[in-house]
Amino acid sequence: MFRSWGQKLEHNPFIPYLATLKGKLDLTPDIKLLTLELDDPGLRDNFDYRPGQFAFLSAFGVGEAPFGIVSVPYRKQGLEFAVRRIGTVTRALHELEPGASTGVRGPFGNYFPLEEYRGKNMIIIGGGIGMAPLRPVINTILHHRPDYGEVLIINGARTPQDLVFAPEFNLWRGAPGTTLELTVDRGDEEWEGRVALVPDVVKELAPSPQNAIAITCGPPIMIRFVLQRLKELGFADNQIVTTLESKMKCGLGKCARCNIGDKYICKDGPVFTFEQISGFMEQF
Amino acid sequence: MTRFISKKDLITWLEKLIQERILIAPTTKNGLLLFQPVSEVEDIVLDFQNTELSPKECFFSATETLFAVKREDGRTELVPATVDRDTVLFGLHPCDAMGMAINDKPFLAEPADTLYGQHRARTTLIGLPCSKPTTECFCTSMGGGPHDPTHLDVLLTEAEDGYIVQAVTGKGEEILPSSVVEREIVSPPPPSVEPVPAAGISEVMERVFEAPYWSRLADRCIHCNICAYVCPTCYCFDVRDYANGGRIERVRSWESCQSPGFTRIAGGYDPRSSKGARLRQRFYHKLRYFPQEFGALGCVGCGRCIRACPVNIDIREVISDVQKLGAKIGT
Repeated sequence: MFRSWGQKLEHNPFIPYLATLKGKLDLTPDIKLLTLELDDPGLRDNFDYRPGQFAFLSAFGVGEAPFGIVSVPYRKQGLEFAVRRIGTVTRALHELEPGASTGVRGPFGNYFPLEEYRGKNMIIIGGGIGMAPLRPVINTILHHRPDYGEVLIINGARTPQDLVFAPEFNLWRGAPGTTLELTVDRGDEEWEGRVALVPDVVKELAPSPQNAIAITCGPPIMIRFVLQRLKELGFADNQIVTTLESKMKCGLGKCARCNIGDKYICKDGPVFTFEQISGFMEQF
Repeated sequence: MTRFISKKDLITWLEKLIQERILIAPTTKNGLLLFQPVSEVEDIVLDFQNTELSPKECFFSATETLFAVKREDGRTELVPATVDRDTVLFGLHPCDAMGMAINDKPFLAEPADTLYGQHRARTTLIGLPCSKPTTECFCTSMGGGPHDPTHLDVLLTEAEDGYIVQAVTGKGEEILPSSVVEREIVSPPPPSVEPVPAAGISEVMERVFEAPYWSRLADRCIHCNICAYVCPTCYCFDVRDYANGGRIERVRSWESCQSPGFTRIAGGYDPRSSKGARLRQRFYHKLRYFPQEFGALGCVGCGRCIRACPVNIDIREVISDVQKLGAKIGT
């Protein structure tokens, strides 16, 4: 196991690592890709994380909030976060200009056990900003492409403009044995693709549960119906994996805010199989 | 032989502690008995049932700066808050000392909460036994007792013209004055405390989660959060930034799982949006989740939430009701 936050470090776990905003890219009208570089070169080289883990970003003077890390650790181009403008902290993060000083606390939480999924067909189903934690999953799988079977990516959004990682679609499509299916709730004049809800696309494409793992993330309502469709197709609960979002303040299992029953999303999750989730005492 | 300190020597000792350290003790403020820093020994109240608020404030402040953000010449520096003075917390009862030991579990679990750890390391607990439990007290059912010295550094039990001195820890032994003498003296028996049927409560809780009981109980809850405010072991917190005239601080403050919106995420989705689910969370955290995680109940039986609740939600009643419900539902 790699180091988790605050351990083996003489470090106050509430003090972020200082980082500098290196890049800011519009992904959608309300989502920006923020690229951060840790100021301490030693930390920069040793900041180890896995797809599915998250970190807190600071907009000093406004606050901090947790975000999935959307970059992949083997590319040392900085830490990337897809931040949707939806509240005070995200608005402040959007307003930062390259060169601005910010803070990172993390990585926190568990991760998608992609090594365990080697040899399997992978079905990745994401909606809206729910694609954020799935992007490092897709890129890691494609980086180790021969290790996996068929890869099917179903990505939905409200409108074509809201498809988060459009700049990478050609890369994903072009990978061998990889299918990318895009869908939107509402098209526009230029849109020639599907206009359908994500669960309906799952039903239509009917991926086989044989030797497969489905990973899904999106709005709670989407997840609920995707789960139903996958189960109708014969997927077992332990073949369906998701990552849960929660209000949280510490990432350390201390602030007592992100529990579902006796599980803390910040340290027992955020990645769970539906087998695990259906065993939770409290159901969301 | 028992160790003993006379009342006169206790006063001299406390005067010396005030000079050397911060002394926090029960004092009356605006008609309320609270743990406050004291500068005069005569302000200390020794004979009381229980303080209005627990002394958790000494280690886990209602509002406390975690770090300050310093910006100079385009450079940013984060300056962590540190605890730089020794404190003596005097006069707490065994239930409150147990409350601190319970809070240690989440706060000191790795990675430890640095500031909490510093407060804890630099504070010595000199306790008094509880001689007059309130009618709402039930410490003995939660694993404590009115004379239990376990979680204190020193216990002082009133006897004859002074106090029996019991140094529980090395830290307690170190702080004792030379005026402590040996004397043949018998400790008074602890008072009796009304029990509640808490045996096996954690296991029974598992069976009654879905019961309509919780939403019915919450019908009268006005989510005023006073239960969490007075509780020695409620430790939910919030973290926010404050910017004031160029000075930026990240601040931690008490929060309560009873607050509407406690679990509401960006975008408006709230997984625990009903009052029933929130009130259930409070009792489950104390009686089920905390014991599962840390092997101890998250309640000390101090009775403060019962006295403070404006709508008479009573944890003793909840414990009895859960036992009855559990028996009805079966295993």
